[in-house]
Amino acid sequence: MTSWDDAFNDLTDDELLAELGAAVAEAEQVTDRQREAARAAFTWRTVDAELAELLHDSALESAAVRGDDAVRTLSFASGAVTLEVEIDGDTVRGQVVGGSAESVLVQRSIADDQPISLDAGGFFRVEDVAPGPVRFVVRAGDWTLTSPWVAI
Amino acid sequence: MSTSDSLAILVVRAQEGDQDAWDEIVERFLPLVGAVVRRHRLSPADGDDVGQTVWLRLVEHLGDLREPAALPGWIRTTTRNECLRLLAARGRTRVVDPQTGGLDTVTDDVTDAELLAAERRQALRDALTELPEGRRALLLLLLADPPLAYEEISRRLGIPIGSIGPTRARAFAQLRETDALRRLGPEPPGGAS
Repeated sequence: MTSWDDAFNDLTDDELLAELGAAVAEAEQVTDRQREAARAAFTWRTVDAELAELLHDSALESAAVRGDDAVRTLSFASGAVTLEVEIDGDTVRGQVVGGSAESVLVQRSIADDQPISLDAGGFFRVEDVAPGPVRFVVRAGDWTLTSPWVAI
Repeated sequence: MSTSDSLAILVVRAQEGDQDAWDEIVERFLPLVGAVVRRHRLSPADGDDVGQTVWLRLVEHLGDLREPAALPGWIRTTTRNECLRLLAARGRTRVVDPQTGGLDTVTDDVTDAELLAAERRQALRDALTELPEGRRALLLLLLADPPLAYEEISRRLGIPIGSIGPTRARAFAQLRETDALRRLGPEPPGGAS
């Protein structure tokens, strides 16, 4: 296979101009909406938040393993605390295991945080969750578990 | 200043909380994110959600980004992975061609070659920013659609018609020598080079 270096050097100036045209045209397809959303992502910057690790996402499994189940399951862990989440249409159910947490914050990139109380078993449930990026922040006393952002 | 240097500086400034630096990073790589998203069969709304998720994940990742030159590869790979995750999450409502098999077949139709081609176009855009203003302006005028006559290019740039051809040749020679294009070879972009 031709190396990348050769691939450019093998092109005539006219061919390179054509590729340049495609590259420039690609930049013109960016919409203002995409630009605004990408810029606004920076407001979520936190200096020292330690992210929970994604242990499992059923969407990352092969279709054969995943089966026909419509419910997507995700699990996150930070230290001894685990957050299990089920995405079932626009309903999100979850459970926090360990750490005697009291509440979970459902954060959307474009909406206000939604604080949800956990029941005695550590369970929570949120209805009418629209598609889009989401992350979960579990709080208890002096620690938090922050999940990575995930598109649902 | 070379592209790689300026990207390194932008990353450091963004790590320190500089929104302007972040906006510049965004401006530079939005087309790459868009190109990778378009090659997957997501709805426009899901495509925008993937893009937004990639930027949110980059914000998370910014603090431990040690090698700015790896950023294009990171963005390409992350966008690809987030597309696959959302495609799989939407699996039940997607129409799958029974002739070609299940969802996994559908999601595998974006080849590595296509993804690398998207990163190659990113390198070309970066290379353009390394050229002196006059040469960059000439190349952009040569790309005008419909094409501009040399008389018009001469008028707009304030250079003689006779110098357009030689300037064009020098601009291409310089483009080939930019850090952005040299960085792509001989290792595949995003690799260990």
